[in-house]
Amino acid sequence: MADIIEMDRIVKIFPPSLVALDAVSVKFAKGEIHAIVGENGAGKSTLMKILYGMQPADSGEMVYNGKKVKFSDPGEAILAGIGMVHQEIMLIPQYTVWENVVLGYEPVKFGGRLDVKKARELVKQKIDEFGFNLNADAKVEDISVAARQKVEILKLLFRNVSVLIMDEPTSVLTPQEIPQLFGELKRLRDNGHTILFISHHLEEVLELSDRITVLRKGKKVGTIKTAEATKAGLAQMMVGREVIFDSIRKNQTAGAVLFQTTALNYTDPDKRPRLIDVNIQVRAGEIVGVAGVEGNGQLELVNLIMGLIEPTSGSIKAVGEDITRKPILEKRKRVAFVPQDRANMGASISANIAENVIMTHHRLDQRFTRWAGRILDFKQAASFTDEVRRKFDIQMSSGEAVFKSLSGGNQQKVILGRELLLEAPFILLDQPTRGLDVGSIEYVHQRIIDMRAQKRGILMISADLEELFRLTDRIVVMHKGRVVADLVTEKTNVTEVGYLMLEGAAYEA
Amino acid sequence: MNIIIGLINGMITSATPILLAALGGSLTYYAGIFNIAMEGMMLGGAFFGMLGSYYFHSWPMGILFAILGAILMALIFILFAVVLKMDEFITGIGLNLFSVGATTYMLRQIFKVKGAFSSPEIVPIPKIDIPWIKDIPVVGEIISGQNLIVYLTLLATIVVSYLVFKTRFGLRLRAAGYNRTSLDTSGVSANRIRVWSLILCGVLCGLAGSFLSLGYVTLFSEGMSAGRGWISLAAVILVSGNPTGIALISLLFGFTDGLGLFMQRSLPSQFTSMVPYVATLIALFVYSVRLKKKQTI
Ligand SMILES: Nc1ncnc2c1ncn2[C@@H]1O[C@H](COP(=O)(O)OP(=O)(O)O)[C@@H](O)[C@H]1O
Ligand SMILES: [Mg+2]
Repeated sequence: MADIIEMDRIVKIFPPSLVALDAVSVKFAKGEIHAIVGENGAGKSTLMKILYGMQPADSGEMVYNGKKVKFSDPGEAILAGIGMVHQEIMLIPQYTVWENVVLGYEPVKFGGRLDVKKARELVKQKIDEFGFNLNADAKVEDISVAARQKVEILKLLFRNVSVLIMDEPTSVLTPQEIPQLFGELKRLRDNGHTILFISHHLEEVLELSDRITVLRKGKKVGTIKTAEATKAGLAQMMVGREVIFDSIRKNQTAGAVLFQTTALNYTDPDKRPRLIDVNIQVRAGEIVGVAGVEGNGQLELVNLIMGLIEPTSGSIKAVGEDITRKPILEKRKRVAFVPQDRANMGASISANIAENVIMTHHRLDQRFTRWAGRILDFKQAASFTDEVRRKFDIQMSSGEAVFKSLSGGNQQKVILGRELLLEAPFILLDQPTRGLDVGSIEYVHQRIIDMRAQKRGILMISADLEELFRLTDRIVVMHKGRVVADLVTEKTNVTEVGYLMLEGAAYEA
Repeated sequence: MNIIIGLINGMITSATPILLAALGGSLTYYAGIFNIAMEGMMLGGAFFGMLGSYYFHSWPMGILFAILGAILMALIFILFAVVLKMDEFITGIGLNLFSVGATTYMLRQIFKVKGAFSSPEIVPIPKIDIPWIKDIPVVGEIISGQNLIVYLTLLATIVVSYLVFKTRFGLRLRAAGYNRTSLDTSGVSANRIRVWSLILCGVLCGLAGSFLSLGYVTLFSEGMSAGRGWISLAAVILVSGNPTGIALISLLFGFTDGLGLFMQRSLPSQFTSMVPYVATLIALFVYSVRLKKKQTI
């Protein structure tokens, strides 16, 4: 097959001395799905941003459709037919779905007047065509992360690009939505589109792609045909060592109840019941998983526990204390929390890494402050940051660097490090490994298991069933705001849980 | 009756330059620019407007020069804040100071006068009588016979409102303010949109300036914008840029200004001229209290 894009010895250095891409050469064939895999920080996003004209390369050349090209901004790339869905969602929250989709490509009537009717129709048409479950008139700030990602993809399809770059598009989709996306991508490929697909999930890559390019620490390890690849082989190429995929849990009896919700109800401002009589218990030394299709009450559960919303009725107890309406600092003494939205809830992305690392610690732990809490001790902060960096294997230049300069996986590790090093006996994890690569996932899983061994109680919400089965002692399934099942992990299986997630009713074999 | 008609006409006259400048500020507000330079653009417009009208003995040339003068100021802002990526606040302060200095200097150099320059050679912008309507009692005295710029201002309010909310440009303009990376990755340069919003702001501030030196009075005096640009900024912030809201706030300000003049009959003018500024302060205070309440919910 003819090559549509050829990237030749691309070098990218982030000042002062971070070599993100070290002479990477790669060819993409027309009409293939080409996966790019690699650990966090391997340079996948950077490589694609250079292709898309978002970042200039320091050296190297690109050939597109037989011509030497250099896009100086994404606008040029889009015009040439190359579009990218970003890892960080780039939509305008205040705009509706259709406004976001047409932005930059708006149908107009006489005098530059926006043709609202036509725009909405075109967008609705696209939504139907691709079978996306989206409301064209919904405001983006009101829809779930998964739906926002769909809007991003839709936006690209709307532009009729011939090369689609997707930076981890599946990381925000639920397991049910992924096959649908894959079906679309395959159909697009069969229509002659070229798809460059970044992912951490090796199963996904193996299922979807035609060829795979592996990057490691800014260097290309190789390009292989998917038909000739294996999961273990790929993992080894990515990480540079062998990776173990099996369950790593040791048997252990759970202790006293650490966390409990009692008849928790929540009705949203539009009078829709979101949580109905939710009873969940977590004991010391136990990992309880929450399974469910996104939007079945998980978000509300997390927000209630953390006090972002107030329950209509019911109570939440942690470590023997009713924390339902306790101030946040009181909650934080008992609850460590890893949110799914790293950028908005997990961190202050424009603060530096050290500042992010000591957040909450600086209120609960005397050693980070002097003068009765009025002055921060930056020396202590720096040494603590270093401790977190070592313990959680974080790739970063220094604690002074701004948080958002970290790659997604490293951001997540910083947040995990901060939270797991809190003394809180109960840990709430919301999609703790979403968007991480295999190496990091293995690492994070190991840390979670360590916490279990330390007799902490863990409640983990995850869309990844494989992860739940690997880690948890029990799984509760949520469906339409109710807990429809509370299962012992060893006595159930993926089929049963999957069925409960979709149907909510008991599974009849 | 005459007092009321006088008050209403006073209100309209005082509101006009503020409303025009604030409409310009509204555009830059939506584009996400912290633009405090309306004061400087307006003053530049007033000076060049007078210059154009004086040299060409023509008020249309006056308006044209006023617009060009204000655009010149806007271009300086663009150079520093958009091209060279300097802080917008600092650029704005600098531009406002520069405008006072430059117009004062030119006034003294060109006309060899201090303080103010007036001459019969300066042709004012005419008042427009509307046939039929002008003969209706009371209503005719308000709706008809206003300065051309007043009618243009009414038109500008509608046009800006339409532009921001109904057009493609408006969608991109607001997008630039909400999330510029999103706009950039959609293939539209956010900086280009910002530049256009500033140029349009220049046009509107130029009109405002021409009203000061060729409408309100027929002369140019040093620093004659007298804080109107700042009040227009307050109006923009108060209603988060909404053009209709801006029009109401400007009229309110115009009303207090007229009231101040009216009160001069019984109070020293130093106090009465404070009225509109005090009103602005109160409005800002009420607004911030309301905002705080909203945030704590
Ligand atoms: N804008 C930036 N400034 C500084 N460093 C960056 C920037 N973007 C990425 N990096 C660094 O470059 C490396 C590659 O990042 P990235 O391409 O995002 O990795 P991946 O997408 O494979 O996870 C990482 O070490 C990351 O921290
Ligand atoms: Mg990436």
